[in-house]
Amino acid sequence: MFHGFVTTAKLRTSECGPLRARKARFTPIPDLTLMTTQPRSDLLRIRPLAGLFAAWALLLALGTGCGPRESGESGGSTPDSKPRIALIMKSLANEFFLTMENGARTHQKNHATEYDLLANGIKDELDVARQIDLVEQMIAQRVAAIVIAPADSKALVTVCRRAQEAGIIVVNIDNKFDDAVLAEKAARIPFVGPDNRKGARRVGDYLARRLQPGDPVAIIEGPPNAFNAQQRKLGFTEAVQAAGLRLASSQSGYWETDKANQVAAAILTEHPDLKAFLCSNDSMALGAIAALRAAGKADTVLVVGYDNISAVQALLKEGKILATADQHADQIAVFGIEYALQLLETKSAPADRETPVDLVTAQGVEPPAP
Amino acid sequence: MKPSDPPTPSSSRAAEWRQVLAEYLGLTVALAILMAVFSLSAQHFFSAITLRTIANQIPSALLVATAMTFVLVIGEIDLSVGSVLALSGAVMGVAMAQWHWPLWASLIAALATGLVCGAFNGLVSIRWRLPSFIVTLGMLEMARGGAHAVTRSQTQYIGSAVGAIADTDILGFSLPFLVAVIIVVVGQLVLSRTVFGRHMVAVGTNQEAVRLSGIDPRPVKLAVFLITGMLVALAAAIDTSRFQSANPNAGLGFELQAIAAVVIGGTSLMGGRGSVVSTFLGVLIIAVLNSGLASVGAKDEMKRLVTGLVIVAAVIVDHYRHRLTKARTV
Repeated sequence: MFHGFVTTAKLRTSECGPLRARKARFTPIPDLTLMTTQPRSDLLRIRPLAGLFAAWALLLALGTGCGPRESGESGGSTPDSKPRIALIMKSLANEFFLTMENGARTHQKNHATEYDLLANGIKDELDVARQIDLVEQMIAQRVAAIVIAPADSKALVTVCRRAQEAGIIVVNIDNKFDDAVLAEKAARIPFVGPDNRKGARRVGDYLARRLQPGDPVAIIEGPPNAFNAQQRKLGFTEAVQAAGLRLASSQSGYWETDKANQVAAAILTEHPDLKAFLCSNDSMALGAIAALRAAGKADTVLVVGYDNISAVQALLKEGKILATADQHADQIAVFGIEYALQLLETKSAPADRETPVDLVTAQGVEPPAP
Repeated sequence: MKPSDPPTPSSSRAAEWRQVLAEYLGLTVALAILMAVFSLSAQHFFSAITLRTIANQIPSALLVATAMTFVLVIGEIDLSVGSVLALSGAVMGVAMAQWHWPLWASLIAALATGLVCGAFNGLVSIRWRLPSFIVTLGMLEMARGGAHAVTRSQTQYIGSAVGAIADTDILGFSLPFLVAVIIVVVGQLVLSRTVFGRHMVAVGTNQEAVRLSGIDPRPVKLAVFLITGMLVALAAAIDTSRFQSANPNAGLGFELQAIAAVVIGGTSLMGGRGSVVSTFLGVLIIAVLNSGLASVGAKDEMKRLVTGLVIVAAVIVDHYRHRLTKARTV
């Protein structure tokens, strides 16, 4: 292992040679003889910052760029070593995904003898390209399994198929891959995660019990291109229809408090008789509540959310939010990892697995009916 | 009128008024057209409730856009306003929700956070003569990271303890709205009637000339970044109070919205020209557009298309207005 690293390190230095040469070409050459006798120090004297930068770039290249080939040469996991599982997340800036990752890290600590965890996330929830890069890096790292919460349900299929072809187990969590694309790529990737549609339906049904048929309600949707946002909207819509409520408006708040606030305020003015807001996440519910308070309707219009973020507990108690759904963020990645370990061991055919979604109200937590 | 003729006070006053009218006429007409279109297409749009809703929503945008006007006038840019807003709000949220600080202390903590960020932007770009684009881009990342670190990525729910700021009404207007309007007026006076304002315009027009004429442009720059930090923090406090919670993801892309509002108001991205009152109208146009499109229930793709079109159209109109007033004064 150590030997292998040294050889690749050498390889890297020689590979980075041309880079240095190119830099040298751009530096002014005051004296050719000096240049030939003391090339490096001269370079550094003229461009101390450039030298530093080059050194930094070299380090970086050693750290990342050469990684793939290095592990390629030294081989993947040997039979007796622990499998390495890569967890590829969406935005860790999002409380939901952070909880998910922390759950996975805790699980790994408790099962440290069984596997190693490589957790990576992207900065922006919609940065699909960066996530594809991450999967490619993990393929190059020859991990045993990839557990992924894809930022896009279609764009990530191809690269995950490539991972499978490289002999890596792929488990899809949180946001399900598009069935049509999976079929087209002849890929079978098991999905482990909650059914957002069912969850939203339960929240919507709970709300409907407080309303009369014909009451106007509005949905504050997530981003129109996000799969889970679409599923939640579907679930809410089904509940609205089943109870005979009237859907006055359905607009996107992009998961954000202030955008949801703008949309909710406008809907309230346009539909003064509105009875409830069904918000596709709790952050947007906060925005809707602010709009209601500003309009003096906090006590007459009901609000439901989704995700059960920590801030919601107080709102449930104060009666400002009627209900929300808990998808057990801390367990989703763990379920995915456990399933990947199971697949690694048994080599059985992968199948989808649904994780529970609880209804959360001021009365408490209500797990799904079996 | 020959240049040698001293203008009589009354005619110069009239000329001034005419200029002011020409300056704001285009934007006011655009605003009126937007209001008319939405009033016709949405049933309840033209109402006192809509106006109150908009007045309730715009204070934070107004404060940030006023600051951004100053920044653009001196020929700099601040990309970090959205993140600094989130960080200041996060500090305020954590101070209240977890450390149980009183409102005033948390407010001071938020303002201090904004000031520190502004000081960093100003000092670093002055000391190393770096473009503010790069420094504030760095701050955009740092402040966002800071907001997530402080809140551990969790929305801080504070409750009605923080509501006092947004819920205080004076003469039917919310306190944040009045504060924002006062700051717009003061900002405009500072820009057009004070030595500091003249210096800002001069620095934005030709920094080297300013330096050669014996004025140090650096304090002016630092002051503008400090003012920006403080106004952004104030905006954060207002939003935190309005939502009774602080979200570390608040203000994503806010810098571009602020720049759009400022540019609609005719402030030049190249520096040396700008008006806070026009920025106020720019913010209003965007707010009316957002509110109107939501009232109509426009499809999401339409909302974005129309908003983009209005921004470009406003800038084109401003281009002609600018040429027209120029032609008249020459």
